[in-house]
Amino acid sequence: MGRRFWRSGISAFGVLLFIQACSNQTAKELPVLGPYKVVDNIVDGRLITDTLFTQIRPFIFYDQDGEEITEKTIEGKVCVVDFFFTSCPTICPKMKQQMLRIYDEFENEPDLVLLSHSIDPKRDSVERLHEFAQKLNVEVSRWHFMTGDRDSIYSMAKHYMIAAQKDDEAPGGFAHSGAFLLVDKNRQIRGIYDGVDPESIDLMMDDIRSILIEKSVLK
Amino acid sequence: MKFIASFGLLLITITACDYKPKNQGKSLYLKHCQSCHMENGQGLGQLFPPVSNADYVNIHSDELACIIRYGLEGEITVNGVTYNEAMSGNRQLSDIEIANLTYYILKELNDIEKPYSIAEIRLQLDRCK
Ligand code: HEC
Repeated sequence: MGRRFWRSGISAFGVLLFIQACSNQTAKELPVLGPYKVVDNIVDGRLITDTLFTQIRPFIFYDQDGEEITEKTIEGKVCVVDFFFTSCPTICPKMKQQMLRIYDEFENEPDLVLLSHSIDPKRDSVERLHEFAQKLNVEVSRWHFMTGDRDSIYSMAKHYMIAAQKDDEAPGGFAHSGAFLLVDKNRQIRGIYDGVDPESIDLMMDDIRSILIEKSVLK
Repeated sequence: MKFIASFGLLLITITACDYKPKNQGKSLYLKHCQSCHMENGQGLGQLFPPVSNADYVNIHSDELACIIRYGLEGEITVNGVTYNEAMSGNRQLSDIEIANLTYYILKELNDIEKPYSIAEIRLQLDRCK
């Protein structure tokens, strides 16, 4: 797992604390992760080199109420993203336990949305996800369990840099990573955490607080 | 010398402790059960029932061995909450491992003093439905 790598990366950046003007809140500046492009611009006759980070690309999935969920649904929201499947016997229950901690912690935060993608869309129908969400006693407006076209889900996982594949040897029939991603209001990835490790999720919740107070300005 | 002796004794005690059924029971629990029933046995929502302080465990204490080996499915009620999911069995666990796991769940997670002997566990396993 790349957890240690990301963690050290994140904490290295975490040292760069800055005090927000006009408020007493101390926020941690988190790096933007993922692929980027370096572009040269001529501004006022001078060469300016800019780094453009990629945004999470548009998508269409369906949640536990059968509603279409797209990039528009999460416009201006901070998202926690993961990949799972309901019949997974190994790491998923633990991931859902940690996801519930985040759900409870940010109960009064309408700008935070949880997106759980099923990598077993064949079995995880809208109805099944509905039942699953009901058994976790969570509200659809804050936590979308999503299913959809199989290939789109797998390519989305890849896009999020998360490993997921069908694997008959793996318990439950799928191999996947238990990572949680933190996506900011600009749909850029700002952190990757281990969804089965309570300490990693403590760190993630701190980071969510920092990201929530950021304005949505593209980096 | 006295110090070394008592240190040695301490070491022996610690090592001896490791072989208590509760310790094997605990490590078996962490390995085979906690992913669903959570580390303290508290369960998760209406998906996974609690196995700690659970009335079901108390009432069905002599079926625990069978549940561990052959799994469980269908509607059950645990502490007033209904569950209707499926748990698969653990055929790979030996009779002795199941005995230790049963002891751990009863004693450590439910505070029920009911140490079944290996012979009793074997009898229970022979009679699983
Ligand atoms: C893949 C998830 C999973 C794993 C792993 C698992 N269980 Fe279960 N267990 C369940 C589910 C789901 C039920 C409820 C079944 C039902 O609805 O009939 C259950 C029910 C039970 C019950 C009866 C209800 C209660 O809570 O008292 C006991 C006892 C139990 N499990 C013990 C264990 C033990 C011991 C282990 C480890 C050897 C274990 N389980 C491993 C999912 C799991």
